[in-house]
Amino acid sequence: MQKTYSRSFDQIQEIVADTERFFVEENIDESLRMKVDLSLEELFVNMVSYNTETERDILIEMQPIDRGIEVSLTDFNVERFDPTCVSEVDIDAPLGERTPGGLGLYLVLKMADSIHYQYHDRTSKITFTNSVKEG
Amino acid sequence: MFEIGLKDNGEVIVSGRLDAAQAEKAQQFLDTVGDRCVLDMSGLEYISSAGLGVLLRTHKRLMGGDVGLELINVNKHIADIFRYSGFDKLFVIRTI
Repeated sequence: MQKTYSRSFDQIQEIVADTERFFVEENIDESLRMKVDLSLEELFVNMVSYNTETERDILIEMQPIDRGIEVSLTDFNVERFDPTCVSEVDIDAPLGERTPGGLGLYLVLKMADSIHYQYHDRTSKITFTNSVKEG
Repeated sequence: MFEIGLKDNGEVIVSGRLDAAQAEKAQQFLDTVGDRCVLDMSGLEYISSAGLGVLLRTHKRLMGGDVGLELINVNKHIADIFRYSGFDKLFVIRTI
């Protein structure tokens, strides 16, 4: 699956519907859906929110892998931002010190089995995988 | 599809998917809650960090008055996200 989406949170509903369809068509284990939906939304929202100097659509690609799925998001004409290098969130901090910021990418790093970042010619590409563990 | 409303017993009930596109709707509703709030999540299928932010902001505001947000009927998937986020240490959470 390869499809572009405009830079709006309103696109999340369509992304979810497309992901659901892809899972059914490729017979991907439904137990991975929550993790994939979450990582996809967090990365898409991050691109929409912080790469504001471009109006280009965001490309999302999905392909089945052994017992799972590989998902890529590509953002064009943007500055480098490597989501795999974000600072840790202190999840043990007391309520008064907790803020919502940074939690999205932190969750992606926790949910994805692997995550890879490429930056070339002002193009950011983030690829993550999720698969069912054996046994 | 995300819905939020009041039950007859005064609890707030949410259903559907609480994502970045729906967070503002949830926040606007919860901003009207001025007392101890029980949030029935039995119909909630999904929550992202945008939804977690709504819960955190509301909980912090209510805790200022020494009350807070109590989350009930939380399904396993959402309980996992609360645990990954450390929310299980901040909120009273009752799973299904």
